[in-house]
Amino acid sequence: MTAAATGFPGPRRGSLRGRLASPVLLLLPAGLFLGFIYLLPVIDLVRLSVSGPTWSTFFERVFSVPLYWDSLVRTMQISLTVATLCLLLGYPTALLIRRSSGITQILITAAVILPYFIAILIRTYAWMVLLGRNGPVNKLLTGLGLLSEPAQLLFSRGTVLLGMTAVLLPIMVLSIYSSVSRLDAALPRAAQASGAGPIATFWRIMLPLTLPGMGAGFLLVFVAALGFFITPTLLGGPGDQMFAMHIVQQADFINSEGFLQALAVVLLVITLLFVGVAGHFLGFEFIWGGSKAASPSGKAAGAGAATPRRSLLSGLADRIGWPVLRLLGRLGPAWGRWTVLVLAGAVIATLIVPILVVMVISFSSASYLTFPPPGFSLRWYEKFFSDPNWMDAFRHSAVIAAASAVISVLLGASAAMGIVRSEIRGKSVIMLLLVSPVIVPPVVLGLSLYSLFLRFDLVGSVWGLASAHAIGGIPLVVIIVAAALQGVDRRLEQAAALHGASPLTVFRTVTLPAIAPGLAAAGFFAFLHSFDELVLSLFLSSAQLKTLPLMLWADINYQLNPVLAVVSSLEVLLVVIGLALAGPVLARTRAGA
Amino acid sequence: MVTELASLAEPSSDARMSGAARAQGAIGAGITLRDVVKNYGDFRAADRISLDIRPGEFITLLGPSGSGKTTLLNLIAGFQKLDGGEMLVDGAPIDHVPTHKRGFGMVFQSYALFPTMTVAQNVAFPLRMAGVDRATAERRVAETLEIMRLSEHAAKTPAQMSGGQQQRVAIARAIVRRPRLVLMDEPLSALDRRLRESIQIEIRELHRAIGSTILFVTHDQGEALTMSDRIAVMDAGRIVQIDTPVDIYRHPQNRFVASFVGESNLIEAEIVQRRGAVMALRNRAGYVFEADAGHGIEVGRATVLVRPERIAIADGPGPHAMPVTVTSALFLGEVLRIEARADSGETLLIRCMDAAGRSLPAAGERLHVSWGAADCWVLA
Repeated sequence: MTAAATGFPGPRRGSLRGRLASPVLLLLPAGLFLGFIYLLPVIDLVRLSVSGPTWSTFFERVFSVPLYWDSLVRTMQISLTVATLCLLLGYPTALLIRRSSGITQILITAAVILPYFIAILIRTYAWMVLLGRNGPVNKLLTGLGLLSEPAQLLFSRGTVLLGMTAVLLPIMVLSIYSSVSRLDAALPRAAQASGAGPIATFWRIMLPLTLPGMGAGFLLVFVAALGFFITPTLLGGPGDQMFAMHIVQQADFINSEGFLQALAVVLLVITLLFVGVAGHFLGFEFIWGGSKAASPSGKAAGAGAATPRRSLLSGLADRIGWPVLRLLGRLGPAWGRWTVLVLAGAVIATLIVPILVVMVISFSSASYLTFPPPGFSLRWYEKFFSDPNWMDAFRHSAVIAAASAVISVLLGASAAMGIVRSEIRGKSVIMLLLVSPVIVPPVVLGLSLYSLFLRFDLVGSVWGLASAHAIGGIPLVVIIVAAALQGVDRRLEQAAALHGASPLTVFRTVTLPAIAPGLAAAGFFAFLHSFDELVLSLFLSSAQLKTLPLMLWADINYQLNPVLAVVSSLEVLLVVIGLALAGPVLARTRAGA
Repeated sequence: MVTELASLAEPSSDARMSGAARAQGAIGAGITLRDVVKNYGDFRAADRISLDIRPGEFITLLGPSGSGKTTLLNLIAGFQKLDGGEMLVDGAPIDHVPTHKRGFGMVFQSYALFPTMTVAQNVAFPLRMAGVDRATAERRVAETLEIMRLSEHAAKTPAQMSGGQQQRVAIARAIVRRPRLVLMDEPLSALDRRLRESIQIEIRELHRAIGSTILFVTHDQGEALTMSDRIAVMDAGRIVQIDTPVDIYRHPQNRFVASFVGESNLIEAEIVQRRGAVMALRNRAGYVFEADAGHGIEVGRATVLVRPERIAIADGPGPHAMPVTVTSALFLGEVLRIEARADSGETLLIRCMDAAGRSLPAAGERLHVSWGAADCWVLA
């Protein structure tokens, strides 16, 4: 029966109008944008890295100079240690969130989530304050008589590990918690009713079920640590140079073109290699907090993953881990509870105390950093708000972040619609491409963008910087809005259409109101992402367009003073207000993902 | 099936033992609760509950949600601690025994099968925890899977099975150790009706065969009536009546039990006369009927329960028939369900078997109904 015969007008299959109505088109703007500003520069980066006399000239240099090779090995060691520490500390914290209830649970969750959204730069600065010569830790140790005089606690491998672990812990906790919270509460009970004690329940039931969450958290932390630049630069000594720091340093030398790109490509390839291997086992969904198990009917469930077989590795783990745990079990049930409580308590303290100390110091009356402050004063707030340099930077950051949020939301939300609502094949590949900027080390991204920005004269322009920040903002928007869209009952839209609403009216009256909170949250996080961004700005900004993080960065390296604490406190305030507004939405997308 | 089941009953091969015989040689535990109290903040979920469960008995806790039945089950399982009273298993207190050392089996509403294990591994789990040697464990798992008709599914994971199959795996896991007590927490509520009925029968036969005491929790009164040796009806944290299904249905002790179990007509009436074991009552419509005196009520008003199926439709008006007006009538297959209103305004529910020549009355039609002394139950 043809359209004419039924009396209904309608586009024929394959007609231009029919194609234009397809939701696949919604992917186009984000695709073009990212293709131009993200994929092309990365490809150009790779091209430059092989532009030597022979393709491998620069790479041979990277691997033959002990400085870089040692740094590469060191970067791996540090990342591995940090990821392991995060796992060991993050697991009890996730368990504690799960076991607690009511106001306790809300407080612990807030203690984990709040730092997650505060800039790495500020959290690292807080550690510098905490461990500084006049900081509270030194004061405490000398006060207790453990130290005769304040010691240099900063600038060592220990502080790098501590700082990076503290900065990355929330990612681990949230990742593990998302897999713990999905568990049926009856499972541990079923194990107990079957005769399994607390330790057997943990080892045989909880651990295997939370393994995907642990794996995802470990990889996310490890990969993020590989590209870390800010924290090791500020907290490390000369012997703690990480690979990303070399790339930034080399960028200052004009004659290093090609070699510089080769350094970045090495870091990028290593990162992608780990993500690729992890994605093979965990499913690439781990990057955006989804899980392979979420689609039980999918091909993943049918192949291998669903048929538990005792591999050599798990057999070995069982041989060693189980007897050890049995021995620990003799300590009595109270020990297990206390282990969780003490470890999780320590974690929460490391996450929250630095932020609190910085906020207290911002009200200090002293002209240098000391804790506890000798008196209360608002002089540093006055100084911040009266200093035109700080105010200019604040204004620049706000404008850039707002522009970046607009770009991210427009492109990201339409791409999310395109993915969720179209029948396009290879959705997970497209999703992976859209979300991939979050795993690319910012240093690599910054370097690759620099030559593009030079060519189009975008260095130091507001829209240039806003667009660069949107590369990282779009994935955030896509993840949040896609989750919000999946929460919209398709039948509501169908019901509206059935009752005579045009597609546009359906979107305006049904879909948009349902995802509006998600859009608002996404906009806020895109804003925050840009507002906090430092590494890309280091490459792409100019002396005339200083942003707040750039000012902070310069001041931290030059001289630690309480104005920085003021900026930090204002940022914390911004995040708290934002989270309070976005909290309910966030809870739905994160825990329910 | 019956012969397979018989092989399960280790102490005695007779699968059809009486309850008393079961009590002597069988594995079922006797459970005693004395003044058990459990509070959640200000809310008293279990309010001084006392209960004696006989060894090998199939007992059901029946009540609406929030009546405390799941709390009681969790207390017995050891998931929660008592706030007062005591709990004895075969005379020994178990308050301080942790769940995993109580040696009970349990079937959960959500099945709670371990998703990372196969069916066989799930069923083997309790044996593994008990330290049963590999060969014995394998044999017992195979036997149990055979009984639950799951043998061909042994290598599957729970996610690959239907709801009914998953529930049978959960039951297999609960009974594989031949526990003295099996706890079942609304195990059938997630299944469709037909499946529910077939698993009801399976559980009942299983109970006969293994001789374990079974404590079954449900809010479905039909399920409770068909499966239980005795039913404990719960309301607001208390057990309001504990009796056999027949007595619960026919002789409820109060309005709550009468209206929660089965459909009921609760008729307010005035006692007009008392003649030995029978008394005469008059309802608001002026209809005078007789009832077994039963309880000690002598004078004044009483509430009388008449089950809808005990009301007869008379051929026409008479001194022993009450005229009513039909408000709705439904044909349910084997029975007709008729709602009618007496002239005094009381509504009456009538169920009668479908029979040749009986037509479905239309709304507004006048009917004459009656019931005998044995059809009434005077509530205390």
